Amino acid sequence: MSVEQFIQGVIGGLAIGCIYSLIALGITMIIRATEILHFAQGEIMMIGAMAGLSALWMVDLPFVIVLVIGMIGGGVAAVIIELSVYRTLRSLRVPLINIVVSTLGVSLILQNVARVIWGSEPLRYANLFAKRGVEIGGFAISPQLIWIVVLGFSMMALLQLFFRYTRLGIAMQAAAQDPEAAQLMGVNVKRTTTYTFLVAGVMAGAAGVLLGSLFFASFNMGFLIGIKAFVAATIGGLGSLTGAMLGGIAFGLIETFSGVLISTAYKDAVGMVLLIAILLLAPAGIFAGRRI
Amino acid sequence: MKSAVVRVLVIGAFVAAPFVQTNGYWLHVLCVALIGVILALGLQLLVGMAGLLSLGQAAFYGIGAYVSAVLTLRFGTPFLIAFVLAGIAAALSSLLLVPIVRLQGSSLAVATLGFNIIIYLVLLNEDWATGGSFGLMNVPAPRIFGYVFASDRSMYFLCLLVAVIVYLAMERLVNSRFGRALKAISQDEDAARACGISIDLYKSKCFLVAAFAAGIAGSLYAHQARYLNPNDFTFNKSIEILIMVVVGGLGSLPGAVIGALIVVVMPEYLRSSGELRLILFGVLVVALVGFRRGGIAGLAPVLGQRLAQTRWSRWPKISARGGPQ
Repeated sequence: MSVEQFIQGVIGGLAIGCIYSLIALGITMIIRATEILHFAQGEIMMIGAMAGLSALWMVDLPFVIVLVIGMIGGGVAAVIIELSVYRTLRSLRVPLINIVVSTLGVSLILQNVARVIWGSEPLRYANLFAKRGVEIGGFAISPQLIWIVVLGFSMMALLQLFFRYTRLGIAMQAAAQDPEAAQLMGVNVKRTTTYTFLVAGVMAGAAGVLLGSLFFASFNMGFLIGIKAFVAATIGGLGSLTGAMLGGIAFGLIETFSGVLISTAYKDAVGMVLLIAILLLAPAGIFAGRRI
Repeated sequence: MKSAVVRVLVIGAFVAAPFVQTNGYWLHVLCVALIGVILALGLQLLVGMAGLLSLGQAAFYGIGAYVSAVLTLRFGTPFLIAFVLAGIAAALSSLLLVPIVRLQGSSLAVATLGFNIIIYLVLLNEDWATGGSFGLMNVPAPRIFGYVFASDRSMYFLCLLVAVIVYLAMERLVNSRFGRALKAISQDEDAARACGISIDLYKSKCFLVAAFAAGIAGSLYAHQARYLNPNDFTFNKSIEILIMVVVGGLGSLPGAVIGALIVVVMPEYLRSSGELRLILFGVLVVALVGFRRGGIAGLAPVLGQRLAQTRWSRWPKISARGGPQ
């Protein structure tokens, strides 16, 4: 492996890792707040990608605006689902696993609604970036990958600031850690749960636009990515936001490099073997202990 | 003896089904549904009884299917032996997961899902053994003591027989010491441990039994479809099995049967609604999990209770039967 290949692998792995991280963050937030394994998170991402794409079809927009539209799309979809499905199921007091299975049903509905609206062909984003590679230290790097890494990291930084310094963010954390105590302190836990789905949906929507611009958007783009994000969140230790972030980036890098170094056929298996190994050695994930 | 009557009626309905519906395609669908019943019964033990969320049942299903197909195709093994070996192979492979059963809820789900993806990739890429993405063709029809199950109807009865045996075996298991121990574990692990129940051992045994059931279901599928492709054993299949169990009713064996029938037959039934088919199915899943006390099977006791209450309402209400909820 040459130095150039290595650097391209790092940037590519970081870019796809950022996308996993954004989805894994949402998954982790939802688990912390509600214990629901949200299998429709990948589909929320797909809705974000489609929303961004549809806006781009109508007007020629700069990338950042497309990204914001995707975030809005993901957030709105997540809130609608939370209010109509999950909240209803919670108020019916069904067992948790029933809600988990309902997220699978939701994922099926979203996929097929998207297929009806946007068709089953993969859709390409218009070229939003300069084609020519950017020279960094003598190596050509695709500007798109750099944008994805920069935007991905800045969004995760914003999320950290949101959780640390805003009233709502702190209330959401409190509600996730101890709903009863938070309720007693005047936090409306029902509402913070909905906000949790909103923030998770916004993150996933952003991931959708980033991923869509990298490859393409299609009605079934979400499921496998959502599953991988789950694995990433688990590697990071379900329950810690920093863990989800680092887990996603680690998973992106592992996937990219095992494709290059080991075999493309077993690219996905390497991550899974690692996952099982990590769960055996450190059941709480490698980034456990730090609850941020 | 009410339940005995219900049983005879249900078995009678299953036996009569292939004479009422003689269309070959629907017989095939019903076979797949019965295979689904076996898969769902296995997972019901894990999820419903032991509270272990497994998203990797399709891996054991795939192992069973490929073991059975390769044994009969390449080595000319008789069907019955291949069938049993398929179950054993699946059960043995589940031993790989034994160290993982210590994990709690969601970690276990993701770990089994990862296991499923690994097995899928092995089936896809080790084409010297599995035929890779081209699949395995011309898997022979089952042959037991010279009788070849070549027709759709005979295959249906073979699947029905196995499904009934698995059902009865599960029922015995659930009502044995083993089943009671599982119930104790799912209610309170610490209390169960204090009572001298070895939790990891019981959980591992559950995995073993569920994997065996999935393995023999896979063998049936291989010889029923006569063609295997790795895509039949992705985690989508695992998820389908989980939907069967939860839609039918958590912790209920009849629920697993009903759930499997719904999940396999409904999408076929909805085929006429074209593009809306899977949307409707998704809505159905979301609606069905909303029933308290789990799925369809939860409905029957509720209705029964209502009836009972109206009929004997002047009697003081007897406290609810002992049960997990």
